[in-house]
Amino acid sequence: MNVKKGFNRKLVLLLALVMLFNLSLLAQTFETIKNQVKVHVLKNGMKFIVLERHEAPVVSFHVYADVGSANESYGITGISHLLEHMAFKGSVVIGTKDYEAEKKILDELDVLYDEMKREKAKPEPDKERLKEMEGKFETLRKKAKEYVVNNEYFDMMMREGDRGVNAYTSTDATQYINGLPSNKLEYWMAMTSDRFLNPVFREFFKERDVVMEERRLSSETRPMGKLIEDFIAVAFKAHPYHHSVLGHMSDLERITRRDVREYFKKFYGPSNLTVGIVGDVKADEAFKLAEVYFGRIPSGPKPEPVRTEEPEQWGERRVIVQARSQPIIIMGYHCPDARNKDSVPLQALANIIGQGRSSRLNQVLVKEKKVAVAAMGVSGFPGDKFPNLIVFYAVPSRGKTSAECIEFIDEEIEKIKKESVTPEELTKFKRSQAKGILSQMKSNSNMAALLTYADVVLGDWKLLFDQVNEIRAVTAEDVKRVANKYLVKKHRTIGEIVYETAKKRKEQ
Amino acid sequence: MKKNRIVFRVFSVFLLLVFLSGVSVLAQKSPKDKFIFAPLNPIKMPKVETVVLKNGLKLFLVEDHEYPTIDMRAMVHIGSVYEPSSKIGLASITGSVLRSGGTASITGDEIDKELETLAATVSTGIGQTSGYITVSVLKEDIDRALELLADILINPAFAEDKIKLAKIQQRTAIARRNDDIGQISNREFEKLIYGKDSLYARHPEYATIAAVTRDDIVNFYKKYFYPDNTTMAVWGDFNAKEMVAKVEKTLGNWKAVRIKVPPLPTIDYEYKYTVNFIDKPDVNQSNIMLGHIGGLLSNPDYPALSVMNSILSFERMFKKIRTDEGLAYSVWGSYRSGYQVQGVFSSGAQTKSESTVYAIELMLKELKRMKEEEVSDEELAKAKDQYLNSFVFNFASKAQIVNRLMTYDFFDYPLNFMEKVKKGVEKVTKKDVLRVAQKYLRPDKVQILVVGKQEDFDKPLSTLGKVNVIDIKIPPLRPKKKAPKK
Repeated sequence: MNVKKGFNRKLVLLLALVMLFNLSLLAQTFETIKNQVKVHVLKNGMKFIVLERHEAPVVSFHVYADVGSANESYGITGISHLLEHMAFKGSVVIGTKDYEAEKKILDELDVLYDEMKREKAKPEPDKERLKEMEGKFETLRKKAKEYVVNNEYFDMMMREGDRGVNAYTSTDATQYINGLPSNKLEYWMAMTSDRFLNPVFREFFKERDVVMEERRLSSETRPMGKLIEDFIAVAFKAHPYHHSVLGHMSDLERITRRDVREYFKKFYGPSNLTVGIVGDVKADEAFKLAEVYFGRIPSGPKPEPVRTEEPEQWGERRVIVQARSQPIIIMGYHCPDARNKDSVPLQALANIIGQGRSSRLNQVLVKEKKVAVAAMGVSGFPGDKFPNLIVFYAVPSRGKTSAECIEFIDEEIEKIKKESVTPEELTKFKRSQAKGILSQMKSNSNMAALLTYADVVLGDWKLLFDQVNEIRAVTAEDVKRVANKYLVKKHRTIGEIVYETAKKRKEQ
Repeated sequence: MKKNRIVFRVFSVFLLLVFLSGVSVLAQKSPKDKFIFAPLNPIKMPKVETVVLKNGLKLFLVEDHEYPTIDMRAMVHIGSVYEPSSKIGLASITGSVLRSGGTASITGDEIDKELETLAATVSTGIGQTSGYITVSVLKEDIDRALELLADILINPAFAEDKIKLAKIQQRTAIARRNDDIGQISNREFEKLIYGKDSLYARHPEYATIAAVTRDDIVNFYKKYFYPDNTTMAVWGDFNAKEMVAKVEKTLGNWKAVRIKVPPLPTIDYEYKYTVNFIDKPDVNQSNIMLGHIGGLLSNPDYPALSVMNSILSFERMFKKIRTDEGLAYSVWGSYRSGYQVQGVFSSGAQTKSESTVYAIELMLKELKRMKEEEVSDEELAKAKDQYLNSFVFNFASKAQIVNRLMTYDFFDYPLNFMEKVKKGVEKVTKKDVLRVAQKYLRPDKVQILVVGKQEDFDKPLSTLGKVNVIDIKIPPLRPKKKAPKK
């Protein structure tokens, strides 16, 4: 027994040495890039992280607002995402022909909208009055529209060559992206600081309709969208990861322009913004310009952190979505946030169980048992700023069931809990993880995204590069330990899509 | 007194601060001020080496020493258009089992394990009109990756078990193909445009998958997958000469066949106005697509068409249907052009059931307007500026540059094709945009497809014309044929 152990240890050591050598090459690359990163924090707390890359005369920008759907409370779910849309509507300078005149009508609209809302909320709304107000509302809306320059922000950015103008909202963050020829650094500063300094949330009601269409498109007409929405709603009973980024339809229907303004005021202060700039620019010049343009934004308090914590789960939870769709199953176990020391071992666990052709789930469920056509695992779902889930999911093969898939996933999990993982699997994780990060770093835009993410979520941009050391340090023992600690049935939620026939629909 | 002085001092510091910040205010520009941009740093064109090996394999290589990785991407003249109609799915199965089925000396699963331990990927696949091979490795592992790649391409085993697996995946995909509204819409719209049984729109059924045998797969591979039919881009941290030698040593053993793949069949399109409907009672949003056949990139009108597309999609569809009306999240109108096969002209949107017909009417109105009046000076200038000012992004990475050249070469386009398009765009006038809109857009002869929940529509679809209801029921495996053994 002892001898065998000794032999194994030697083998592990040997493999570890080989791997160490390989990874150290990557570590070197990371170290080189790390030393080129420069950081500047304005007095108002806004942070700029710049990496000069002179490969091509282009530059990418990434504004990371530390606010996402996890910051929302009941009644305003979906507002982070709605605000993301509204932030493109311009400012007192952009998007208007005459702001003073426009503002008057926008204010009138707000008052009228509130009145309508109050009337509608009455037990017996005065239909005559409502109709009259709706008519007036439509007239005013059209009048306001006369002052609007349609999509002027997009027009101006695209005209200067912005190919990457876009934004994303997640549970944890709202991120604005631009890419310009590198001689237009100051133009970006002027355009972007302007809309963070003096935003005007015009065309609010139509944009809210657009966001509702987005919700229908991504969640309500897609079986997978429905499944994920209900799955997180059951897995998180208290923490705001409970609701989807797209929010509830009834909230979207009632959110007002004032709600958006207040939300902006609370979460878009300079101390809550981090900017990544990567490309053919000089860091010193970027900092100087940042002082001039963003330095004028008044500082404000950092918003209060999310209060609600997810309590311990009392037993396995199950949720079923009935849809006109073949079955899909998803299974999630509660895990700590990205800053926790178990976070990297959990990444290893997800990788070894469920990422790549040689992963356990692909090997067993797809290749050997043929019960699924896809079976994967991922950690940090639906976000990783807060305690989250490690998730496994499977798409059953035709004629196979979700139950069969669950059975084999469980078997693989139990094996790892008992026997841990092999040295080859550990090597696979370490190398693929490091190479994955490296591959993402190849584009300016992704690099800017990674730098801001690491700084806000992990707590320091340097960790983007230093995490390779954490990755290197993971042992088979660590993986086994976190598997036993977190992959506990009592703490899991299983979601399933069950086919709903047309007949069943009618019966209900 | 003392107190006052302090107050004064503080006050003067405050004044000074105001003054200082005043200076910076002076330096600030408003977004609407005139910006004079410094000349852009020159684009550094990397050296691209072109080499043809003795067996006909053509290589485009670019050294890129920023990161210690090497990547390869090859395109092969092969495709599902060449598979018999009784065996639809053959090309796709061949493409996946070529990689998953292992070789004479090593199983597919062993390859998976070994490559992933190296953090390397090697993949192959076959699409409609081309196949692909990709490799991505840390530079220290390039030798082993090339060895494996050569073994896969030269001695594929097409293991029975992996054929079985690929067939399960095909059958599962068939069973699931009506689950997602977007997938239904795209598939059925292509069938409307190219024709239900067209080589460019047909798809596998249980029966065609069942009919595929291992012999079919081996023969299909042998017939089309060879080096003198393949063009490969290679980029990363290597010395080009050494890299060529490495490729020569491994893929040099892949035997040439010297048979030209038959040309792609042409499309004979008949313009017609049709209204088509697919019932999806479990959704609250309709998926709308309408259009007709599109064109080829080689068309001299392509630059004017791409300016037209940009105006149609953003200035018209996006601004009107999304921003003004709030009817859809995603909306577009675009006359698409293909390298060798005509693309599709399509306009599409997803809107709540209750605004379905209204949205279609608006889309058609915008299409007609494109043909009826010239675009404004402003619209033209914006579209051209957008294209020309963002042109530099075509050179943002060496990977992009070498892949573009490889693709042009593969499709027999001039290597400076993009520069030619740019020159064309520079010259496009309002008259050109109107001319191409009139020549290529036929809003009176579009085929309209709506997938959605009919009972909630704002108006009956029949207000648009006679409605053809499309049945998307999945045909079962013909009872006469024996089901393949499990």
